[in-house]
Amino acid sequence: MITFKEKVMKNKIFRLALILLLAGWAPLAQAAGKLRVVATVPDLVDITRRIGADLAEVQGLARGPEDIHQVVMKPSFVTRLNKADAVVYLGLSVEHSFLPGLLEVARNPKARRNADTFGCLGPGCIDCSEGVNVMEKPETLSRAEGELHPQGNPHYNLDPQEGPRMARLIAAGLARLDPEHAADYERNLKAYLSELEPRIAEWKRLAAALHGFKAVSFHKDVAYLGRFTGIDFVDTVELKPGIAPTPTHLEQLVKKMKGQGVKLIVREQQYDAKVCEWLAEKTGAGIAVIGTMANALPDSETFEKFSERNLKALLEAAGKRGP
Amino acid sequence: MRQTLSTWLLLLPMAAAAQTEPASGVPSLLKRLEDRVAKLEGAPAKTSLSAFNPALGLLLDLAYTHGDGQRDSRSRFRFRTAELNIEAPIDPFLKGWAVVNANPDEVEVEEAALETTSLPYNLTVRGGRLFAAFGRMGHFHDDEIPVVDRPRSLDTFIGGEARADGVELSYLFPTDLYLNATAGLYNKVGGENGRADNAVSRPLDHFTYLGRLSTYLDLGDDHSVELGASVAWTPKRFVMDTSVPGDADGDGFPGDGENTSAGIETKKNTWRTLGGVDLTYRWHPTKGGKYQGMVWGTEVFQNDERRFAPATKLPTDRVKAYAGYSYVWLKVGPRWRPGVMVDLSEDLDEARKLTRTFSGFVTYDFSEFHRLRLVYSHQMNNVPGNQHANIVSLQWTGILGHHVHGFRDR
Repeated sequence: MITFKEKVMKNKIFRLALILLLAGWAPLAQAAGKLRVVATVPDLVDITRRIGADLAEVQGLARGPEDIHQVVMKPSFVTRLNKADAVVYLGLSVEHSFLPGLLEVARNPKARRNADTFGCLGPGCIDCSEGVNVMEKPETLSRAEGELHPQGNPHYNLDPQEGPRMARLIAAGLARLDPEHAADYERNLKAYLSELEPRIAEWKRLAAALHGFKAVSFHKDVAYLGRFTGIDFVDTVELKPGIAPTPTHLEQLVKKMKGQGVKLIVREQQYDAKVCEWLAEKTGAGIAVIGTMANALPDSETFEKFSERNLKALLEAAGKRGP
Repeated sequence: MRQTLSTWLLLLPMAAAAQTEPASGVPSLLKRLEDRVAKLEGAPAKTSLSAFNPALGLLLDLAYTHGDGQRDSRSRFRFRTAELNIEAPIDPFLKGWAVVNANPDEVEVEEAALETTSLPYNLTVRGGRLFAAFGRMGHFHDDEIPVVDRPRSLDTFIGGEARADGVELSYLFPTDLYLNATAGLYNKVGGENGRADNAVSRPLDHFTYLGRLSTYLDLGDDHSVELGASVAWTPKRFVMDTSVPGDADGDGFPGDGENTSAGIETKKNTWRTLGGVDLTYRWHPTKGGKYQGMVWGTEVFQNDERRFAPATKLPTDRVKAYAGYSYVWLKVGPRWRPGVMVDLSEDLDEARKLTRTFSGFVTYDFSEFHRLRLVYSHQMNNVPGNQHANIVSLQWTGILGHHVHGFRDR
């Protein structure tokens, strides 16, 4: 026989358990209500987090220090993409080594592999290359010219001025997928741009010191950086894009650098330091180590920090004052 | 530069025209520009004759091999394959691909398959001639394995590549942990598996049924482990018995016009189970991964079947035989990838007979599409007389055209 007291006690315990259960589910329910976004590179993770704020749960794929052309396809990326409401990517086939292969097996109708562009196809795709003034479009598509990107140079994220355009595209993409919060994304975009755009103006002013400075880069990925800084990139350490330098090419490069007065070598951090050090020794040029994605180097985890760090490295190696 | 020039060329005549027509002024110029932009925007999309054509790629694989056996040593150049890959989406629900392999002996369709692309509930169906999802390296094409010649354990236990005519259903579990399950139904598994003939009809219990479960764990940012378990079960198998008329066309009427010299009869208790476990460990440092890394791959197989004496076709005892390989493949620079492999294979008929193969190999990648590979293998077995052989191969591989980084072949 259950007494009244016991009944009350049982009722209290039941209510407490229910409250605890609901409390336990609450964060999950909240997380479930968020837009699930996967961004391919840390730059895009940062910008998407700024715009999505607490309305989006953003996960990344590449971590930053990798060569973007050789990011490993991990099965854990498949599960992220499988559940994504949106996939934010640089496009222009820069993610060709991992994104198409992952999208192919992720079984997400919102974001499938685009067989024609090595990109993403579906309502969840946010291509940040839309509207970019593409540089270095190949005149001939032959592998005799190295590992080319058929649509042109895809490394536009090295130009800080592309940041606002990418941010606007991401905000528009999130608003399209989550129209209820369109005003929030617009507000977050404005806040982000109000912070970023003055910095870009400041960097542009500082970069003026580099205008006309002749340089070589390791890989042919700095066209947009050259456009922003005014640096004249005359050649690459690689023989052709993706093709390791040969001794003959290096000898000719030394002659060219001496002949044209090239005083700056730009090494993307994922490439061999020894060859650049040898070149620097032969030519007396300074070496600037840059990242091609955010978080490639320490203290560059956001798009702002990444852009500023690259500029600082260039100014220092060129003997100019940095930010 | 070209774009800027073309913009000026576009604007200059209009500006000049605007100057000669002061009455119309700026609004007129804007109107004409708007009309021009509208015309450009309304123009049909640029296309070419290659639109909707499938992606094409051709792999050329050549080798020079020197073998040093018990009695003599011989060398030869080998045109191993010219492998044509064709792939394209078919409609919003399906994609298709074919791999046609031409070698000095034959031209054969290695793969010709269809795969759904938009089934609900994380399901995918593949059908046709495909590489069955058995194990790991079994569904790699020859050019994707780390050595020149396929490890003996794969050749003898699977029957070369895991080629199969049939259908597969796979399911990706909707969890944070990667977990993938595959079920398959095929005529047989293994391109060189002689136990069954693709051209012959059969009852359902003579098909091969496959199950596979695979998972993956990140061990920090730079290390990962993949684990898979597969089983291919054939409830009954055909046994070639020349003493009775066969029913090669499967119509239930033995000897009705078909070639009776290779009659077919089913024996009792002829089920076969091929099981396998595969483990792949990867070290791929996030920083410096362009110049260093490591893959350790291991697979172990168990074949459980009732064997038949080749001469009499009479059943012998059931034999459980084991085989497997293990390899370590390093990345020691942007281009160099050395490694070692050990393969141990028991004889399917007499499990006591063991063949050991030790290989050392080094790959040099000129580019993503061009490589050289040198392999030295020492093979020995434990049969009386202890036969052994040394084989050196130099392989030269190039890819023309389209090349895809597939998730399954990583």
